[in-house]
Amino acid sequence: MRPPELRALLDRRVVLLDGGMGSMLIAAGLEAGRAPEWWNLEHPGRIEAVHRAYVEAGSDVVHTNTFGGSPLRLAAGGLAGRCREVAARAVEVARAGCAGHALVAGDIGPSGHLLPPVGTATLDELADGFAEQAGALAEAGVDLISIETMSDLREALAALAAARATGLAVIAMMTFERRRRGTFTVMGDPLVPSLAALAGAGADAVGCNCSVAADDMLAMVEEAAAASTVPLAAQPNAGSPRLTAGGVAYDADPAAFARALVAMAAAGARLVGGCCGTTPDFIRAARTALDAGVPR
Amino acid sequence: MTERQELFAALSRAVLDGDDAAAPRLAAQALDGGVSALDAVEKALVPAIREAGRLFEEGEYFLPELVTAAQAMKAAMAVLQQALGAEAAALALGRVVIGTVEGDIHDIGKTLVGTLLSAAGFAVSDEGASVSVARFVARARELDADLVCASALLTTTMPKQRELVEAVRAAGLRAKVMVGGAPVSPRWAASIGADGHADNALAAVTVARSLVGRDAPS
Repeated sequence: MRPPELRALLDRRVVLLDGGMGSMLIAAGLEAGRAPEWWNLEHPGRIEAVHRAYVEAGSDVVHTNTFGGSPLRLAAGGLAGRCREVAARAVEVARAGCAGHALVAGDIGPSGHLLPPVGTATLDELADGFAEQAGALAEAGVDLISIETMSDLREALAALAAARATGLAVIAMMTFERRRRGTFTVMGDPLVPSLAALAGAGADAVGCNCSVAADDMLAMVEEAAAASTVPLAAQPNAGSPRLTAGGVAYDADPAAFARALVAMAAAGARLVGGCCGTTPDFIRAARTALDAGVPR
Repeated sequence: MTERQELFAALSRAVLDGDDAAAPRLAAQALDGGVSALDAVEKALVPAIREAGRLFEEGEYFLPELVTAAQAMKAAMAVLQQALGAEAAALALGRVVIGTVEGDIHDIGKTLVGTLLSAAGFAVSDEGASVSVARFVARARELDADLVCASALLTTTMPKQRELVEAVRAAGLRAKVMVGGAPVSPRWAASIGADGHADNALAAVTVARSLVGRDAPS
């Protein structure tokens, strides 16, 4: 699948991405503090099962288990020097899990190293790491690359440049919070200009993921949709907790989540899915709701 | 404004501007002028970092501004602590073990709280993200910690905060437990028996000070 094929899919309908990976692996027994990427090597069957569950639930695109697969982050998790191997195994199990029914997006998350003044990383070292990771994912045969959860536009652009260099289609997502003065990343990058910068740098789709639940994410989609020149993506977390007489209840109700994704699609999002805490149940509900039609 | 007030104002400004060269220089100047270190902390540094936190909450400052302010404060604190003997001990507010709970890899919020606590004069041991309850307890025992601070950014990992409170009590540790994180409410904190809760990094410093019995003058 090459860029035109992602575009063809986008032309046909709202694209349903997958849901959370990390939270699924924790539920499957991933030990505390263990980098999820280890399981591509140690328990490939469990990763494949998560992918299969999402595809069966209706995902059009799944993300490889390589969110922390950049060389810097792998090194912090005890996987130094194994970027290529991790990417190859992750893509292999994603392919197997999809069985041809969904596209495989090579997932690139933040390096885990922060640029000045907050941290001491250099753009060059981040760029080198992303080049290695994007190259490894492309070589392993992903259909597209999906950049997620970036909070520093400089790092997002470095990852995007590396992903674009592979020639594959690229979705570039950052993570925003709603502040009194507007919507920004924790580093202070504002929503609309950041997404415009990513689109200007060649992303095939841009968007927001993580940090917020569906209600805040819908507001972000409404803010970004009018300004966006490329397809918009949104992947909120599962809902917020609520205290009840019987203890804590989570508003992580798949049906409500699905309604929110439909509302995002109606507001202009062209790719929707879930982030932390969402499961195949959420995606199944979203598939049903999206298939029932997006109000115009 | 007296000369001393002007100096405090300049020191505050240096912290707010994240100027980690001017802040220690002005702190040294204050000591040379006979100002007590505690006075400089309480009347210049603490109000400044509090203001930085307020600006962060208002959406005026972002992480870079807040972190550079904390770095400038830390540089000034180093001068004040170094220059003093008896008063220096009084400045060390307490030992803190901080981390994000098991299963949760979000670490920016926790790092921010750790940075501000450290800037405010706490000795902070940052255990990172996805820290097991057992590790929190072991580190708290090892360091004879005054405070254990646990962040949870997911509804699915919040229950670990309850386990942590229970484990700290069961281990017979004297440490108090503070919890925080986007989904964490005061009611949740109360329901799990936590000693303190803060819904932003600045408030965390205020709560931490009160938990160790070292309330800052308001």
